[in-house]
Amino acid sequence: MQPSSTSAAVLAAEPARDGVPAPAMRPGPTSLSIWLLLGAAIAAIAAFGFAVSDPFIVTLAGYTCAFALFALSINIMLGGIGEVPLGQCVFFGIGAYGVGIGMVKLGLPFELSVAAALVISVAAAAALGALTLRLTGAYFSIVSWGLSGVAMVAATNLESLTGGPLGLFGFSALSVGPVLLTDPQSYFFVTASLLVAAVLFLVAVRRSPFGAAMESVRQNRHLAQSVGVDVTRVRLKAFMLSAPLAALGGALCVPYTQIVTPEVFSVANTVDGLLMVLLGGSQLIVGPVIGAVIFSIIPHFLELDPNVRILIFSSAIIAIMMFAPGGLHQLAVALRQRLRRDGHA
Amino acid sequence: MHSRALSVSPAPAVAVRATDIVKRYGGVTALNGVSLTVTEGEVFGIIGPNGAGKSTLFDILCGITKPTSGAIEVLGRDVGHMAPHAVARTGVARTFQRTAVFADATVFENLRYGRHASFRHGVLGRIVGSSSCRADEQAFQERAREVLALTGLDGDRDRRAGVLAYGVQRRLAVGVALMADPKILFLDEPAAGMNGRETADFIALIRAVAPGRTILIVEHDMAVIRELCGRALVVVDGRPVVIDEPQHVLRHPEVITAYLGADDE
Ligand SMILES: Nc1ncnc2c1ncn2[C@@H]1O[C@H](COP(=O)(O)OP(=O)(O)O)[C@@H](O)[C@H]1O
Ligand SMILES: [Mg+2]
Repeated sequence: MQPSSTSAAVLAAEPARDGVPAPAMRPGPTSLSIWLLLGAAIAAIAAFGFAVSDPFIVTLAGYTCAFALFALSINIMLGGIGEVPLGQCVFFGIGAYGVGIGMVKLGLPFELSVAAALVISVAAAAALGALTLRLTGAYFSIVSWGLSGVAMVAATNLESLTGGPLGLFGFSALSVGPVLLTDPQSYFFVTASLLVAAVLFLVAVRRSPFGAAMESVRQNRHLAQSVGVDVTRVRLKAFMLSAPLAALGGALCVPYTQIVTPEVFSVANTVDGLLMVLLGGSQLIVGPVIGAVIFSIIPHFLELDPNVRILIFSSAIIAIMMFAPGGLHQLAVALRQRLRRDGHA
Repeated sequence: MHSRALSVSPAPAVAVRATDIVKRYGGVTALNGVSLTVTEGEVFGIIGPNGAGKSTLFDILCGITKPTSGAIEVLGRDVGHMAPHAVARTGVARTFQRTAVFADATVFENLRYGRHASFRHGVLGRIVGSSSCRADEQAFQERAREVLALTGLDGDRDRRAGVLAYGVQRRLAVGVALMADPKILFLDEPAAGMNGRETADFIALIRAVAPGRTILIVEHDMAVIRELCGRALVVVDGRPVVIDEPQHVLRHPEVITAYLGADDE
């Protein structure tokens, strides 16, 4: 008994994985592997940023990182508490309009506009969440979708503030401190760094008691409640955590789009983000990032017609949901296990 | 033999007191005037046919469902106006008849989720590895080891709860409830679907954790009720029929008819 419980104590810091592929959030890899992955990510970002010279591709990579932030935000709701937040584009739009209104209408610098947008997005999430998070499942999804429609109508009609249907454009100095975001390489480095920081933060969140509480709520809210989890509060906190990530993503898309129109509130943006999450896997913290990369880079290289792109991605999603509901990541894990088993045989 | 506390103090403290509980769902009266008083340290059984209102009574005693009328006092607090998580945090744990565990999580993670109310640190504490983070984690690990040993789940700690055999899931459900070291434990049909050997193990488990706790058990397996409970309440159609020692309760004419009647359906 004694030796086994001692080894349990050693193992206990990070539970070992057994052969059962569980599509559940895990407390995460060991700290060492996180630092290794972080090193690899920084090396890859530096290599990409310095080696790739085509400014279009580097800018697209920056935009992909920005949109990946939005996908991470969506996954706090989907992978975190099990809701499909169709209206998440509201916060994405708040970020974009924060930059648009802040810079074009108020003459504020980019950083201050973004900071204001983040604060507003959290406040909006608190208010909207208090109203909509009483609902669950399809009801929550549909109501939050409806709210994004309201936001789009407001953006279209509040012409003096939003520029109406034509939107806001003509940005002067899109820069973070001395770093010009109109320079492709700088843009990419800024968005990629923020993405890495967001992922690291989400790793900490998942491994915190709050992360465990979210996961318990996703899996069984009645049981979660009976072990003392304030389900309503956890759901609201998750929403308020997801909002500024979406807003940051929306704000960082502006240097790429160079214009902010009511379209930022389109549910199509949320659907794109959702597809990224599903492609990469909702139970893997970097799943949405993997999905975002696949989602934006591949069609570029395949030079797909937008309609064909939708067709291909929709089919891919259906196939993923049927064969690998944990995302492509799950396929890779299953494949590795198969190979290992064959290797032992 | 019974875990029922033959208390030395003249007036044992009340753990659970329900007075004239009525619960209606539209036209259905799930509970119709149920009263009970369970003293601290008692192991108290609730029996009755399916649909009698036993789970509804548990939900009301834990604050999950609010009664149409009646008063509930748990550990001296009026539960009638408390949120369910707040009731849980006063030292009340329960298991559910269905979906008793976190199915997507490993056994060990289930225990972590069960420990929720005792964690004091936040995300920031986790990032910097604060002292409260380390203390929380150490206390959790210790408690998890105890509970794994108690429930005999040592060998299953890294298995996904959803793939465990039904009887093992039931033991895990009790393990999750025990993580907070509750003063009151509500068990809703904990031995349902267990074979004879599993039931015997289960009875031993409850005996082991009973000292220092109050336990309420809804159970169809009369062996479990007879072995564990000092007293039992019979509910039929939302109505309390009798509260007495198990051997008397089981011989009560209305209990016999109720069970025969239920079997006829
Ligand atoms: N949420 C609910 N809505 C409507 N009726 C309910 C609800 N919960 C329980 N009931 C009804 O209350 C009665 C008692 O149910 P329950 O407490 O689950 O019985 P038991 O646990 O004794 O089998 C049943 O007739 C059931 O249909
Ligand atoms: Mg029941």
